Amino acid sequence: MSANQHALLIDRGNLRRRNAVNRAASWASTIAALLAVAVLILVVGSVLLKGIGALSWHFLTTPTALFNESGGGISNAIVGSAIIVGVAAAIAIPVGILVALYTTEFAPARIAGPVRFVLDVLNGVPTIITGIFVYGLLVVPQQGQSGFAGSIALAIVMLPIVARTAQEVLALVPSTLKEASAALGIAHWRTVLRVTIPTAMGGLVTGALLGVARVAGETAPLIFATSIYRQGMLTNPGEALASIPIFIFHQSEAPSPEAHTEAWAAAFVLIAVVLLLNIVARAFYARSQRRMKA
Amino acid sequence: MEAGTLKPNAVLRARRNRTDRIGDPLLRGLSALAALVAVAAIAGIVYEVVHGAWPAIQEYGLKFVTTNDWNPVTKRFGAAPFLYGTVVTSFIALLFATPMALAISVYLTELAPRRIRRPVAILVDLLAAIPTVILGLWGILVLGPFMRDTVEPALKSVLGFLPIFSGDPSAFGYLTAAMILTIMAVPIITSVTREVFETVPGDLKEASYALGATRWEMLRTVVLPYSKPGIVGATILGLCRAIGEAIAVAQVIGGATGINVSLFHTGGTLAAQIASQFEGSPSQLMKSSLIYLGLILLVFAVIVNVIARIIVSRGTLKDVKLDPEDGMTEAQAL
Amino acid sequence: MSKRLLGAFVMALALMVTVAACGGSSGGSSTSSSGGGKEALVGAGSTLVAPLMSKWQPEFESNTEIAVTYGAIGSGGGIDQITSRTVDFGASDAPLSEEQFEEANTQGEVEQIPWALSGTVPAYNVKGAPENLKLSGEVLADIYLGKITSWNDPAIAKLNPGASLPSTKITPVYRSDGSGDTYAFTNYLSTIDPEFSSKVGTSTSVKFPTGVGAEKNDGVSAAISQTDGAIGYVGLAYALENELSMPLVENSAGEFPEPGVKSVEAAANAVSEIGPKNEISLAKLPSSAKGAYPISTYTYVIVPLESGKAGELKEFIEYAIGKGQKFGPELDFAPLPKQVVAADKKALAKIGE
Repeated sequence: MSANQHALLIDRGNLRRRNAVNRAASWASTIAALLAVAVLILVVGSVLLKGIGALSWHFLTTPTALFNESGGGISNAIVGSAIIVGVAAAIAIPVGILVALYTTEFAPARIAGPVRFVLDVLNGVPTIITGIFVYGLLVVPQQGQSGFAGSIALAIVMLPIVARTAQEVLALVPSTLKEASAALGIAHWRTVLRVTIPTAMGGLVTGALLGVARVAGETAPLIFATSIYRQGMLTNPGEALASIPIFIFHQSEAPSPEAHTEAWAAAFVLIAVVLLLNIVARAFYARSQRRMKA
Repeated sequence: MEAGTLKPNAVLRARRNRTDRIGDPLLRGLSALAALVAVAAIAGIVYEVVHGAWPAIQEYGLKFVTTNDWNPVTKRFGAAPFLYGTVVTSFIALLFATPMALAISVYLTELAPRRIRRPVAILVDLLAAIPTVILGLWGILVLGPFMRDTVEPALKSVLGFLPIFSGDPSAFGYLTAAMILTIMAVPIITSVTREVFETVPGDLKEASYALGATRWEMLRTVVLPYSKPGIVGATILGLCRAIGEAIAVAQVIGGATGINVSLFHTGGTLAAQIASQFEGSPSQLMKSSLIYLGLILLVFAVIVNVIARIIVSRGTLKDVKLDPEDGMTEAQAL
Repeated sequence: MSKRLLGAFVMALALMVTVAACGGSSGGSSTSSSGGGKEALVGAGSTLVAPLMSKWQPEFESNTEIAVTYGAIGSGGGIDQITSRTVDFGASDAPLSEEQFEEANTQGEVEQIPWALSGTVPAYNVKGAPENLKLSGEVLADIYLGKITSWNDPAIAKLNPGASLPSTKITPVYRSDGSGDTYAFTNYLSTIDPEFSSKVGTSTSVKFPTGVGAEKNDGVSAAISQTDGAIGYVGLAYALENELSMPLVENSAGEFPEPGVKSVEAAANAVSEIGPKNEISLAKLPSSAKGAYPISTYTYVIVPLESGKAGELKEFIEYAIGKGQKFGPELDFAPLPKQVVAADKKALAKIGE
C-alpha cells in the first residue's frame, strides 16, 4: 500500500489522465447500479403484467381453490409461507449469528477455519438435496409431511447465508473497540453483546434479510416436506401447510390459463412482501442507529 | 479475525459478579453448540448423499466422473457433461457478477446521493427475493429470446472465430443460464460487499484523499485491499449460490447431454440435472446416479472453497495468479 | 439481563412451543378425520389427473364425509410418497416399471388401476405453415431423431399436398424432467418406429439425440411459443385450454383425427388388451379403429392392497371410475371404456383390510 501512496505524492503531470480514469470508474459504477435496478424492474414488471389479472383483495383474503379451479386466492399460502419461513428464520438467525460469534470470538484458529469451511460447503448444497435429506429425516419417520419439516429444510438453506455474512461483518469490528471494553474490565460476553454485535448490527440485519429473501421463494425443499395440504386456512406447523412457492408450482402446471395468471400474481405478492420486510427491517435498524447516536 | 485476542485482565476478573462468571461460558457454550449444529447438518447431508449415491458408486465407480453420457433407458450414466456445465456457467456468472457487484457496492457507498442509497440498496437486494421458478420462466420468455436474437448474433459476428461463440444462437443454453445465475449472484455479492465497504475506517480513506488521490485511486489503494477477505467471502457466497442453483437453470439450459464448446449450445449442470430428473426417475439406479451427481457437486464446492482460501491467504493481490478453474475474479475486478 | 439474551430465551421458548405443536398432532395430515369414524384420505402425484381430482374431492366428501387431500406434485413424487407410505394413494401417468413395483411392494403389495383417460399432443409454432398441419408417427419420430430438420422436408410435404411450407429449421422440444407425457410420446414413437425404439426407447425420462429440453408443460409451451419452427409435446388438456396450435397426427386407419375427448375415447374403445398389472398401452391401434387419436394415454392410481384405509380407498376409487367420470369431458378427459371399468372393479375387489 505504501508504495502506491508515494506514487500519489509525486506530481507526474498525469492528473488529467487520472481524473479521466476516475470519471470512467464513476460512470461504470453508476451504470452497473442502474443496470441492476433495470433488470429488477424488468423482471418484476413482467411478473406484475402477467399476474395483474388475478390480483385483487379477494385474491389476498381467500384460501386457495382446488387444483385448476379458479376463484380462489392465496390467503392460506401467505399465512403458511409466513409461518414456515418465520419458524425457519427463528431457528436459522440465532444459530447463524451464534456460529459466526463462535468462529470470530471464541474458537481457536484451527477450529474456526474448518467451521467456516463447513458453512461454505453447506451454502453450495442444492436445495433439492436438502429437501431429500429432510424428507428422509423427518417426513418418512413421521409418516407425513409438516410445515415444521419445511421450516427445518429452509433453516438449513438459510443458515450458511446468515452465518457467513455475520462472520464477515463481525470480523471487521475494529479491535480497538473490543480492547477498550476489555480495558474497562467488562466481561467478554458483555463486550460481545453490548459492543461487538451492535457495531455489526447493520451487517447482521443484511444477512438475515438476505437469508429470508433466499428461502421465501424456495420450492424444492418444500415439495418434499409440505406440498400435500388440506383445504382452508391452516396454521399448525405440525401438519403440511400451504405456501406461496408451492402454489406457484401447482398453478403453473395446471392447464387453465387463469391458473397461470394466479401463479404470476402470487409471485408478485411474494416479492412485494419481501420488499416490505426489507424496508421495515432497515427502517427499524436506522431508527435504532439514530437512537444509539443520540 | 481469529478468536482469542481478548483475555480480560486477571486483576479485573476478581471484581466481576456471578452473572459475568456464568455469562462467558454460557455464551461460549451456546455458540459452540450452534457451530456443532451447523457441522451436524452438513455431516448429516454428506452421510445421506453418500448413502444414496452408494449403489451408483458401486455400479460405476470413479469412471462416472468422466463418462460423457446420460441415458436412462440404457442405464449409462456419467457426470462429465454436467460437471462441465456447472463449471462453465458458474465461471461465466462470476466473471460478470463480481465486477458488477463491486461496481454497485462502490456506487452505493461512495457515489450515490445519500437520499437514494437506502432505496437503491433495497432494490438491488430485492433481486435475491425473486422466486427461482419465476426467474426461470422469465428467462424462457424474455431473456432467452433476447440472447438468441440480439446478444448471441452480435457475439458471433464479432468474435465468431472463437469456438465458444460458434454454432447457432439459441435461447436455451449455457450463456442464457449463466446470465440467470449472474442475476442471482449479484445481489448476494453486492449486499455483503457493501457492508464490508462500510466498515473501512473513514480516516484511512481521508488520508488517501489528503495525499491527493482521486476517488478511484482511493478505492483501489485503500478500500479494496482492506476489504479483500470480505470480498472473497462475498464472492464465495455468490459462487456457491450459482453452483447450487437448480430450478431456474434447468428451465433455460435446454436439458442436453454432452459437452459442447459453444456457449450458445444447450447443456446441463449438476444441480439442474438433479432437480429436473429426480422426481420422474424410472429406476433406482438413476436416482442413485443423480445423488452421485450431488456428491460430485459437494466435492466441487469443497475444492472451490479450498482454492478461495488459498487466494485469501496469499498476501496482496499482486501475488495472486488467476486460476481459471475456480472462477475467482478479484484480480480482474481490481 | 441484556436484551439479546432475553431475545434468545424467547426464541427458544417459541421453538419449544412449535415442537410441542408438532408433536401434538402426530403423523401429519393423514390421521385428520372429518367425521363419523371415517378416515380421511391423502394422495399425491400426477398433475394430469389433478383437475379431475379437484372435481372429485368436494362431491365425494359431501356424499360420504370422507375428506380427500391431494397434492399435485408430479407422478414421480406420487410414486415416491406411496412407496414410503407417507400418503394413502399415489397417482401416476405412466405405469409402474418392474423396479418401481418392487420398491413399492417392500411395505406390502400395491396395485395400479387406470382411472382416467387423456392424451399427449404435439404442439407447434411455425410462421407461414398452415394450421392443422398433417404429420405422421414416422415423421414425428424422424424429427425427434434429427433426421428431418426443416419444415419443408419432402416427407412433410407429402402429407400436406398443396400446402406451402417454410424452410424454417425444426427445433424439437422435449420434456427435460421425467414425465408421463414423455412416456406416452416415446411409447407411441417406439411402437411406430423401430429405429426410434432402439435409438431412444420408452420411458418417463429418455435421452433425446437432438432438440431442446424444457421443464414441465409450461416450460415446453413457453419454449414453443418463443421459437419459430419449434415443435413439442404437452398434455391434451393443457394444449386445448391454452389454445396451442396442434398438428394432426395420422392414425392407424390413415385418418387425421382432431385431438380431443371423442378421438381419445375412440382409441380407448378399440383396445381391449389389459396387461397383467393393469397397464394399458394405446399406442398400437388396429387399422379398423376409426377416428381414434393415436397418442392417447391412461393415468393410474396406485394403492396398497392392505392398509388401514382400505374401505375408504375402495369407496373413493369406485366413485372415481364410476360417477366421477362425468366430470371428465369438460376437463378434456374421455370416459373409461366398459372393459376397463370391469377390470378395474376386479382389481378393486383385491383390496382388503
